[in-house]
Amino acid sequence: MTTYLYEKDLVPQKYRILVANRHDALVRKIAAELDIPVQELRRYLIEHLDMILLENLPARYEMADANADQDDPVARVLGREKYTLYLPILPDAAMDAIFHAVNDRVRAGTAMEDAIAYGRVQIREVLRR
Amino acid sequence: MNLLQRIKNKVRARSIHVAYVDVGSCNGCDIEVLACLAPRYDIEQYGIYVHNNPREADVLLVIGAYTPGWEEKLGMVWEKIPDPKVAVAIGNCPISGCLFNRRESFVDAPVKKHIPIAAEVPGCPPRPTEILEAILSVRDSVFANWEESHP
Amino acid sequence: MKRTVDVNIPLGPIHPCFKEPVRLKCEAKGERIVGAEVELGYMKKGIERIMKGRPWQEVMFLAERVCGICSVIHNMVFIEAMEQISGILVPPRAAYLRVIANELDRMQSHLLANFSYCYTIEHETLGMYLLDLREQVMDLIEQLTGARVTCAYIIPGGVRCDIPLPEAELLKASLDRIERDMRRYTGMFADGPMIALRSRGVGILTPEAAQRAHVVGPTARASGIPVDCRLNHPTYRQLGFVPVHRADCDNFARVMVRFDEVFQSIDLIRKCLQDLPKGVIRGGGVCKAGETRYSGEAPRGELTYFIKSDEFGRIVEIQIQTPSIMNIEACCHEMIIGVDSIADVTSTFISADPCIACTER
Repeated sequence: MTTYLYEKDLVPQKYRILVANRHDALVRKIAAELDIPVQELRRYLIEHLDMILLENLPARYEMADANADQDDPVARVLGREKYTLYLPILPDAAMDAIFHAVNDRVRAGTAMEDAIAYGRVQIREVLRR
Repeated sequence: MNLLQRIKNKVRARSIHVAYVDVGSCNGCDIEVLACLAPRYDIEQYGIYVHNNPREADVLLVIGAYTPGWEEKLGMVWEKIPDPKVAVAIGNCPISGCLFNRRESFVDAPVKKHIPIAAEVPGCPPRPTEILEAILSVRDSVFANWEESHP
Repeated sequence: MKRTVDVNIPLGPIHPCFKEPVRLKCEAKGERIVGAEVELGYMKKGIERIMKGRPWQEVMFLAERVCGICSVIHNMVFIEAMEQISGILVPPRAAYLRVIANELDRMQSHLLANFSYCYTIEHETLGMYLLDLREQVMDLIEQLTGARVTCAYIIPGGVRCDIPLPEAELLKASLDRIERDMRRYTGMFADGPMIALRSRGVGILTPEAAQRAHVVGPTARASGIPVDCRLNHPTYRQLGFVPVHRADCDNFARVMVRFDEVFQSIDLIRKCLQDLPKGVIRGGGVCKAGETRYSGEAPRGELTYFIKSDEFGRIVEIQIQTPSIMNIEACCHEMIIGVDSIADVTSTFISADPCIACTER
């Protein structure tokens, strides 16, 4: 096993950031939206984002709410820019693929809710990978 | 004490390098240390250089109330400083934890528990002149007679 | 996330250029920076956890010690949030004195930030000039409030002490002197060819990226976004405040915006002293139960307090969103990407005026 000279396990520090009032409310909101367990989302965020980004999550979420995907209702509900540009949780390519799949379904005549639900399942798959 | 030792003492007392390490303060003391550099106080006229490099430092100014991030690092910084060395606690935080030392907080004050502290400057924050005076007093008591006290 | 890179260069936590401990892990390809990761946790004191359940009389002093550089604005935003909750009115003279204290604080903070930048690009002469000027501003703060840092000047329903006429005259005279010196130093910075080489076109932050990361304060105004919370403040509206902004988006613009704001602060203080209304400085009032979100413009940008209090004036829930969180985030994930050399990383980082004590609280 590699031991680092200076590196330290940052998980407890990052967890402390995520359980502050606003951050906790935000993580619960995203978890409810994507329908995944809160603790699982926290673990994903801790593994993939650095500490300053975790601190900045609420401000970025506010900006995403105000500005992301203004002109495309499907992308807005799915959170295309929200989860890639504003909150960099998903890789761009994966999100694009999911968005196109959902868009195709909407165009083929599937109900909006069903298509979005399908998209959410795909997002969960990416997050669990 | 021979001539060489006397020269060593004199030179040590006339050239002091200072490193400061912030172990979780509010920044106020940090900035007051920085203000010592200002032409008004002019710390360099006493031969004191604030360089912030532990490997060439003589005096370590410890600021702040010891947060968990420093657990193994403060000790490492202290070990890297060559002898003779002293640590000076600046402000109330390293002495007692000041108002951060309460229930629910993450700090582990005082710093005395973790590294040996030679002098303490209380105040929230202390004035730059007080910080300067503390550095000058450890200079006179530690570096000016190092050769006699450590044969 | 594990990635393979050319060189991974960690800067900090103890670094000659950084005033405060932060660890910046830069991923470099040759000399060019392709990514950066920030490691915090050296200053996490848990101040919001200490504040919970305490009366406002204690939280007022805790709020001041969130950040020692911009302590006046933390004091002001917390007290004004409590005033908004409890419906306490401020006498006009006190409102003007608050603006004076706040603008003096902004001046010393901006001078310190610009000193740090000059020191980082190794222009020590200009840095020392600015630091000397800062000491003069600190004297004015001490004269007005009684302390250099953490002065607890602003209290619910007013301010702690008045400014007598001779001191007001002295303040005006000092401001004239400071403005004269500032003009010279600003000219030195703006015209220096070596400074331009190190600053112009380095550390570009595009308006789109700035807007995504919710960048605030001088960092945003240097990217051409004229956001300023002072526009929503009633006293500043009376004074006819208009924010300065530049469209260059680089290190030079960020430092110059701070220089411009110092002049603006001087003008605001002059205007305050000129129309300073007569009357009491303490109105009094009782802090009550309520919940609010209140923003004020700190030297580094928008500072927001989310406060919930109970009927005895105790703080039940509090969350502080400081400007440095957004600015450092944008700095490390947008500005320093693509910077040409490692030497520019520190100067770009310092140009965003990072305050780690604010960020971690």
